Amino acid sequence: MRTLACSIAAALSIPLAALAANPDAAEKPAASMKDRIPLFYKIDAVPMPPGVDPQVGGMAATPDGRLVVAFHHGEIAYFNPKGQDWKIFAEGLHEPLGVLVDTDGSLLVMQRPELTRLRDTTGNGVADSYETVWDGFGITGNYHEFAFGPVRGPNGKLYVALNLASNGDTVHEEIRGEWKDIGVPRAAFYGSWSKVSKQVGRMYSRVPYRGCVMEIDPYTGAGSLFATGFRSPDGINFDGNGNLMVSDNQGDWRGACELFIVQRGGFYGHPASLVWRKDWDGADPTQVSIERLNQLRTPAPIWFPYGSYANSATQMVQIPKTPAWGPFGGQMLIGEMNAPTLLRVLPEKVDGVWEGATAIFIHTQLLKRGLHRFAFIGDTLYAGHTHLSWAGGEGISSIQPTGKTPFDPLDMHVTPHGFRFDFTEPLAADSTDPSLWPASRYYYLYHAAYGSPEMEKTAVLPTKVTLSNGGKTAEVELPEMKLDFLYDFDLSNLKSASGASPLNPRIAYTLRKVPKN
Amino acid sequence: MKLAASFLLLAFAAAAAAAADPVAPNPAAPTSTPSAAATPKPGKTVKKRQVKVKVAMRDGMRFEPPRFTANPGDEVSVSLENADSTHQPHNFLVLMPGKREEVVKQSLELGDKGPAQEFIPVNPAIIAHSALLNPEGAKTIHFTMPSEPGIYPFICSMPGHGMIMYGAIYSGVKMPALAEDQNIPPMAAQVATPGGGRRPFVQRIFMPNSGPASIAVALPGNLNFCWDATQCRLRYTWRGPFIDASAHWLGNGRELASVPKEPWWSAEKRKFPFKIADAGASPAVKFLGYRIAAGLPEFHYEVGGAEVFETITPAPGDTGLVLNYRIPKSVHSLEFSLATGNAKLASSEGAFDSGNLRLTPAQAADFTVTLTDSSPR
Repeated sequence: MRTLACSIAAALSIPLAALAANPDAAEKPAASMKDRIPLFYKIDAVPMPPGVDPQVGGMAATPDGRLVVAFHHGEIAYFNPKGQDWKIFAEGLHEPLGVLVDTDGSLLVMQRPELTRLRDTTGNGVADSYETVWDGFGITGNYHEFAFGPVRGPNGKLYVALNLASNGDTVHEEIRGEWKDIGVPRAAFYGSWSKVSKQVGRMYSRVPYRGCVMEIDPYTGAGSLFATGFRSPDGINFDGNGNLMVSDNQGDWRGACELFIVQRGGFYGHPASLVWRKDWDGADPTQVSIERLNQLRTPAPIWFPYGSYANSATQMVQIPKTPAWGPFGGQMLIGEMNAPTLLRVLPEKVDGVWEGATAIFIHTQLLKRGLHRFAFIGDTLYAGHTHLSWAGGEGISSIQPTGKTPFDPLDMHVTPHGFRFDFTEPLAADSTDPSLWPASRYYYLYHAAYGSPEMEKTAVLPTKVTLSNGGKTAEVELPEMKLDFLYDFDLSNLKSASGASPLNPRIAYTLRKVPKN
Repeated sequence: MKLAASFLLLAFAAAAAAAADPVAPNPAAPTSTPSAAATPKPGKTVKKRQVKVKVAMRDGMRFEPPRFTANPGDEVSVSLENADSTHQPHNFLVLMPGKREEVVKQSLELGDKGPAQEFIPVNPAIIAHSALLNPEGAKTIHFTMPSEPGIYPFICSMPGHGMIMYGAIYSGVKMPALAEDQNIPPMAAQVATPGGGRRPFVQRIFMPNSGPASIAVALPGNLNFCWDATQCRLRYTWRGPFIDASAHWLGNGRELASVPKEPWWSAEKRKFPFKIADAGASPAVKFLGYRIAAGLPEFHYEVGGAEVFETITPAPGDTGLVLNYRIPKSVHSLEFSLATGNAKLASSEGAFDSGNLRLTPAQAADFTVTLTDSSPR
């Protein structure tokens, strides 16, 4: 700390170079190494508009190369990177957490109470029409009932995700939507909360359609249930192939943060929202057996190892297929709230089952925490930060690739006897030594308690490694393949043919299915 | 009409704070949590009250919350968290009243001696201080409030920070409304009021005594109202400052906005103002949004299939509210009724008879109801 204090004695702010020495970040991956990030990415802060609480709830790019940003107090503003200037377009929304630019230039914004279309009908550059597109869902006033989205599917429909309520709080006296008594009558919610809070479960759903992903027709405003089983699905987006991806946060029924590929009618683990299924028998979800839940649910294709990869996963966005982003173009990146980390998610469908890997992508103390919302303008990645009084950050960072591609694991696929890794550069010839490929194998519990320890954690060493594709592909064979385990690799000791160490040596595969061939 | 503090949801939390605090707390100010409230009893030792507060150091050189309450003699624990995502180190110094500028100036003058003493000047006006907190660091400091009531500043004494990074402990002294507080940074006071105090202004937020999809509106002049987008109707109106949103915005959304003045008029709790044809007293309503013209919203909704446009503007001289209703495709007669309370009701069409108004389809196409404030002022 003394060293750090000395380095700031002469200046009002810390020189960025001193940050790599931040001792508080010592246990984070790669932080102890000299920060090589500036070789590959230029990170800057975007100037914020005055008088705005700079927490970003939603962000999108317009076709003409501007950013549109939704802020915590309800402002929607355009940022023009060319002139670095801001223009406030709308104000007074209630906790907007997503914005989508429609084809006619109007904006679709998901705020706490509704999905709203904002239009400037007078041509003065300011929204005057705040049209309610869809408000057919319940709100109890519980603080945790955040609303995320919208995103547009290949079919033109809109998709939003609705949070559950938290038992850290009761409900307002006046609510919206039809209340469903489940185990506990509504009157009890206004009595002694400490008793009721234990009965309702850590996260609960008493009004439609908390904990669900909803499909909305943008023209008729009709909303219908699309999928159930979510807890706090802060990330919702389509990948480049039209798959609806939803990320959800660690907590009850979520041993770690998880990524889902969401199908119509699917159930994704958190039982509270099962009551909104038309075929539900009325049972209290807190009383349903794990066996029954396991029959209903689709386990997550990807777990994010807790602590070392992500503690609160956020939005996914596709990396553009431009030369500057090199081989990463087309892949999906995802943000994290608690650490200055961006990750990539690499799902694949194996014999009809989704599974896949996540890899750390950009981890650096040069980046602020609270990496919440993302948009690309050209090659530049804009990252909007938030905290909402939890861990996180504020403002917007711009991340510009220098055009130099780091040596990194690029992709990871399951094989009948192990995994196949693709790299951005050829590996050194001695990379066939299995001891350079240490992994650990563990899983997270599916249960009502909050989070999960790493279960049955075991060290795994490959039996055989072979290189192909000019050294850019490695086939790694393992002694056994155990389903429903995470295989978490640490590739720190690998070297590229040119002698570089991986910028991000951590990559973890959630194994749900082993291919026959 | 009860304000946020007595709203059912918050009753347990707010009551605890209020009961232990002889100085009326601003219900919206993020206040301290007293853990051992003690009423002095004759012949018994007075148990010292303990106050626990969480204070975060945030981006842009801010303490969050920028102020809290205590009482003389309280044992205060401040749990500090450096949550500044721009990776600035910060500290926390509690000072004697009126000593903020002096200590900030002194910390700047430390020059190259600063790091050795962690930027803490030597000054008897410093009541307590933390060590330097690195980014993501957390520490708790303990101190006893001096016996003199007063406004005790707290600062970050990192060179240059203290000019904008400060706050205030109100010890046995009444806290002013946040927007009017001169003892906190102007920015902290400004963010409390949506629009920074601009009028007119429209803000959707959780409001007391209304549905969870509420819209607060500051009219030009000094009138404000709460409109409920679930029930599609005016709920109440008050004079003076607009809402204080700081507790809702500084936290995670649990707290409601607070209404600083008692409303002079409130609608009945579950009664829609008009009946169209044979529809009941609580007809099906559907909120369709609003359009802003000259800063004011025109609400748009459906009642029993009929589209309604509603604007609420101040009556000349701010004597009350003018509610204008347009039903362009009016084909039914309409029965209108509102709670009277402190308002005198008048209509542009027909005439009120004990709070009730009957309008023909033609009259209902466009009519105005004026609520004149007749409350004692």
